[in-house]
Amino acid sequence: MGGHHSHPHDHGAGHEHGPLEHWPAGGKLAGALVLILTVVLLPRTAVTGLMITGTVIAGLLAVSQIPLWHLVKRLLLLEPLVLGVAGLMWFQPGGGKIFAVVMLKANLCLLTTLLLSNTTPFTELLRVLQRLRVPWIFVTTLTLMHRYLFVLADEAERMCRARSSRTFTRGRRWQWLALASVVGQLFVRATERAERIYNAMCARGWK
Amino acid sequence: MNAIEITDLKYRYRDGTEALRGISFRVLPGECIALLGPNGSGKSTLLLHLNGLLPEKLSGDGAVKIYGEPVATKNLEQIRRQVGLVFQDPDDQLFCPTVAEDVAFGPQQLGLNETEIAARVKKSLAQVGLAGFENRHTHHLSHGEKRRACLAGVMACEPAVLVLDEPTSDLDPRGRREFKAMLRTLPATKLIATHDLELAVELCARTIILDHGQIIADGRTVGLLSDEKLMLAHGLERPHILHHLHPH
Repeated sequence: MGGHHSHPHDHGAGHEHGPLEHWPAGGKLAGALVLILTVVLLPRTAVTGLMITGTVIAGLLAVSQIPLWHLVKRLLLLEPLVLGVAGLMWFQPGGGKIFAVVMLKANLCLLTTLLLSNTTPFTELLRVLQRLRVPWIFVTTLTLMHRYLFVLADEAERMCRARSSRTFTRGRRWQWLALASVVGQLFVRATERAERIYNAMCARGWK
Repeated sequence: MNAIEITDLKYRYRDGTEALRGISFRVLPGECIALLGPNGSGKSTLLLHLNGLLPEKLSGDGAVKIYGEPVATKNLEQIRRQVGLVFQDPDDQLFCPTVAEDVAFGPQQLGLNETEIAARVKKSLAQVGLAGFENRHTHHLSHGEKRRACLAGVMACEPAVLVLDEPTSDLDPRGRREFKAMLRTLPATKLIATHDLELAVELCARTIILDHGQIIADGRTVGLLSDEKLMLAHGLERPHILHHLHPH
């Protein structure tokens, strides 16, 4: 079982602890929201404003001591989504400039989120949400998701390993088929597990 | 009064599989009973009934009674308060991020106040030997620790009847030994579904053998488990430990 696996999402990143990690989670969450709102609400023409906010975020990133390569990797992972949205802007008159601004804004927001998630354990954020009286169903869903993401990831890893140990061809097509069946199996297993978790919750008085 | 009273319990899954075909037995308060049987004999299905977890069986027909109360929709809360169910896969049961939160889940559902909840968490963690594990993340525990945390979560609800589904599967020998020693210290009435025959001999004075959804035998553990013919006929075997108890 995945008993002692290190789970990078658990305590933010697997990097050295920077000073930002000791700041209260509530303050960090509020700060991140303010930064994101500022970026989103600033008009397209307010380049100076964007630059200032960008500098603040960059400053915080420098203070946080999150390794640069770590940030870049995460950012690249999310970039296709940003490109997908920003790409549509090309079709407008004056599209080039709008495209650049949308790219900048989206990336600043992503960086802020990455900054928050890499300096604050997810469980602390959940506790803040609870204290803020965010509807319980939302917090519960997030809590369960966070808890079982790792279980599912471990399960997927085991299934992939078992598959590859019996895969003797290097054909691309075959690999895609194998992947598809792993995903399908994972879905079935996740549904069954959900049922068992629900039973376990009921058994301890969940109403 | 009987802690558990089951009378002619039948259950058929939606796909037509007959899981239980007329099961009857009684458990007195304080008894510790081993429920043995091959895979697919209906053990887990039977255990789910004790907590009213099969919705189609909540008509209150009185086939399952806990301390005289039939398991039915209207008294589910009371039934689940009295019967603590420890599931087979600890990952299903530990659904909270930290150990303390998970153990506190049951007491919270019982509507206890913060001080009482904290006291229950502390007490049950100490009971299972996990004192000091409060802030550990549940997915970082070893398998043995997960098992203990599950048990702590159930013990925190202070059930009168403890129902365990294969509590020692996947544990290493030391983990198994320690888990058994800990189980012995718990005062509740216990019904343990298991393939661990040594556990049955060491902890349970009485054994019920289930096969094809029927009770094959119900009696003193040592007597039943020494009956090699009976054991082999139902996917079991005579445990080695008995050779030492009754040398011949």
